Amino acid sequence: MELSGAVLLVSFFVLLILNIPVAICIGLATLLAMLFSIDFTAAATTMTQRMAGGMNSFALLAIPFFILSGLLMGRGGIAHRLIEFAKALIGSLPGGLALVNVISCALFGSISGSAVAATSAIGGFMVPMMNKEGYDKNFNGAITVAASTTGLLIPPSNILIVYSLASGSVSIAALFIAGYVPGLLLTLSLMAIGAIYAHRKGYPTADRLPLKEALPKLLDAIPSLLLIVIVIGGIVGGVFTATEASAIAVLYSLLLAVGFYREVKLGELPGILLKATETSAVVLLLIGTSTAMSWMLSFENIPQTISQTLLTLSENPLLILLIINLILLVVGAFMDMTPAVLIFTPIFLPVVTELGISPLHFGMMMILNLCIGLCTPPVGSVLFVGCSIAKTSMTAIIRPLLPMYLAMIATLALVTYIPALSEWLPGQFGLN
Amino acid sequence: MAMIDRGLQYLLILLMGIMVVNVLWQVATRFLLGDPSSYTEEIARFLLIWIGMLGGCHAYRVGAHLGLDILSHHLQGAARWRLQWIISGAVIIFAVAVLIYGGGTLVLLTNELHQTSASLEISMAVIYSVIPLSGALLCCFGVDELLTGPNIHRHADTN
Amino acid sequence: GPQGEAATVLRLAHGMPADHPVNKAMEVMGDRLRELSGATMQIEIYPNGQLGSERDLLELLQIGSLAMTKVSASPLESFVPAYKIFSIPYVFRDHQHFWRMLESPLGRELLLSSEPARLRGLGFYDAGSRSFYASKPIRSPEDLEGMKIRVQKSMTSVEMVKRLGGAATPIAWGELYTALQQGVVDGAENNIPSFYLSKHYEVSPYLSLDEHTYVPDVLLIGLPTWNSLTPQQQAWLQQAADDSITYQRQLWEQKTQQSLEALQANGIKVITPDKEPFRQRVLPMHQAYNNTPMGDLMDAIKTLP
Ligand code: NA
Ligand code: NA
Repeated sequence: MELSGAVLLVSFFVLLILNIPVAICIGLATLLAMLFSIDFTAAATTMTQRMAGGMNSFALLAIPFFILSGLLMGRGGIAHRLIEFAKALIGSLPGGLALVNVISCALFGSISGSAVAATSAIGGFMVPMMNKEGYDKNFNGAITVAASTTGLLIPPSNILIVYSLASGSVSIAALFIAGYVPGLLLTLSLMAIGAIYAHRKGYPTADRLPLKEALPKLLDAIPSLLLIVIVIGGIVGGVFTATEASAIAVLYSLLLAVGFYREVKLGELPGILLKATETSAVVLLLIGTSTAMSWMLSFENIPQTISQTLLTLSENPLLILLIINLILLVVGAFMDMTPAVLIFTPIFLPVVTELGISPLHFGMMMILNLCIGLCTPPVGSVLFVGCSIAKTSMTAIIRPLLPMYLAMIATLALVTYIPALSEWLPGQFGLN
Repeated sequence: MAMIDRGLQYLLILLMGIMVVNVLWQVATRFLLGDPSSYTEEIARFLLIWIGMLGGCHAYRVGAHLGLDILSHHLQGAARWRLQWIISGAVIIFAVAVLIYGGGTLVLLTNELHQTSASLEISMAVIYSVIPLSGALLCCFGVDELLTGPNIHRHADTN
Repeated sequence: GPQGEAATVLRLAHGMPADHPVNKAMEVMGDRLRELSGATMQIEIYPNGQLGSERDLLELLQIGSLAMTKVSASPLESFVPAYKIFSIPYVFRDHQHFWRMLESPLGRELLLSSEPARLRGLGFYDAGSRSFYASKPIRSPEDLEGMKIRVQKSMTSVEMVKRLGGAATPIAWGELYTALQQGVVDGAENNIPSFYLSKHYEVSPYLSLDEHTYVPDVLLIGLPTWNSLTPQQQAWLQQAADDSITYQRQLWEQKTQQSLEALQANGIKVITPDKEPFRQRVLPMHQAYNNTPMGDLMDAIKTLP
């Protein structure tokens, strides 16, 4: 176990330094590590089976479809009108567009329950628009990535359902209510970071528009705003699932871009489809090889062994919580969220229950922690999508991400050590 | 080579188009017709595998994959070229060992055991065949890169 | 550990949580195997689907990288068509009839019938009967008219819901809770403990015990692994599996009873409809198999006492 883990880590970083595509670094390192317990043919075959298995998920459709609708919105004049609308509303605030981005990501993430969907949907049109307004593209990618994770805490959220089932004892309804306070805290802290950052960099703020000028912009945005109404209304009204909503978004933005605004010609469509395919495939292939790596880590019991060793280090409840958080941060760096929740809930829940921590509280702590992991290199599906749509590298996006990690870790500390943040609201509904 | 590129691009555009129509059809049959299609969910998932694998090859061709450029950033001339050999070599090894050999074994196995998909009841070997296929493409692209120079198609539209 | 070096480790992955009767029975199997083999064999369990979905796990057994799994009979249909028998509604009269078949030579044959697909069945775990749960009460097939019901990925299940008047809707298991909550589907079907453990009762207040199918869980070992064991090791493993099955059946019965009580305590309306109208509606599905191997199997089952 120890040897294969070390081989995985070392070979992965060596390959990474050489600027080999990350997906292939993950794949080759995983294959090497697998060879310690599985013969070559079975290992290579298992790799491809897990890669295909990782991509074989209906929920992942949100990635290509929201990237596609984002491109259509960008080129079709929809995004532009939405931005004018947002600027008319709050453009005079420092970092107005950054704030719009955070709120949109939180709103969209909360409704879709998926962080990659939020990154592709909101980032797909917000990042190019912010670029155009003079914001740094790395910052734009970074804030989209961080803000998209808030929707995993604000209900509905697929990962909270996974946690509920893995924990066995917490009701999904209680988790959904509990998620509001930590989710909003995270949103507010990221908004603060966005505003401070934009202010420091001197990003442009628009003058407050007189109503006479603002009103036409508001009216002009109505057909574009309808997109949001249709997508959100359709999900909430049970017409389609959050995943299917991505295809509806493609249809509606296509109709607006080609038929209504006429800013996209039919002949441009194949090019747009290809571009969307290219961006999504980068992420899909990463998800494929990351799935294989997560599988290998679980198969070798590497996360379990490490955490069981570390948990024996202290008896102090505060320290144990700190250790658990540190383990989860490291795990989040390498592992996707769902397998991490499935593996660590049964390991940590008995430990924290003994410390008097409720499964509800622990769930919030764990999900918030793993939200950070979604944004950290080397493996983070939301980070992958963010880099892809912002057309930037993982090295370049890290700098603007640093203050956001800090904000997320600060929120995590609050949620970890103040149980009321997770438990008060569900208590008000009698769901404790 | 240009023909392979072109063919791959057309195929990807087609697959993406089908995938959109397919999911819209899924919503329509359930919500408008009240007679949900049993196949669309499965078709969408399988198309996703194909788009992920083949699109991954195309993305490699145009240099869209994510990487860590701390080292390559500082290299010039012959050193940069030597690094390119290592990068292409790693890609070719992955393509041959994992995608062609591992994927090929998976295809042969599912074919031999007559394994079918749950709804369409088509052979899983057909679905998985995209893995060795993209391995072959990735191999071609890696070799081509070594013969004609690195990054010929890269960073065409990073702005 | 030191004795772990020499031991044969069988890795067993499945999709159920660690406190599920199936997982507890597997732990018993592990203990028994260690005992029987004098600690030269052990089972390592990976619960919660952490190594993949049931379908994925079956493929890993065929590849040989995973030793054992437990899957529902439903995904096995794509590997061994004979398992479709469990998706055909009202083949079994009741729970006793169902177990009589599993324990008969027919059941034994079925377990071995997957060998050409590199999968060897070691035994059946109880997974009870499957019934509908929904946002509205279902007392007769007429009530199902126009309702969107989520079914397992099996064409037989799709046909069953269609014949009963509902609209069979494919929704991924992980998306089902929100789909029920938001009304994308009106109902689903499963056994009683799963209805309880999945928390779907939080969003579907009516359980209708029409008991349309009995779909067992199947404990399997990959042929590559099985063939690597000595006959003595194979016998130990089979013995341990048999013992765990006896244990699981008791646990399952308790779990079903507990779940039913917990559901009622949570305000779920449990309906016991007359099954005859449901059975009548799906009889054409039985007749369609006349003069096929599946039809012969069905006839053989029906003649069991
Ligand atoms: Na959400
Ligand atoms: Na990460």
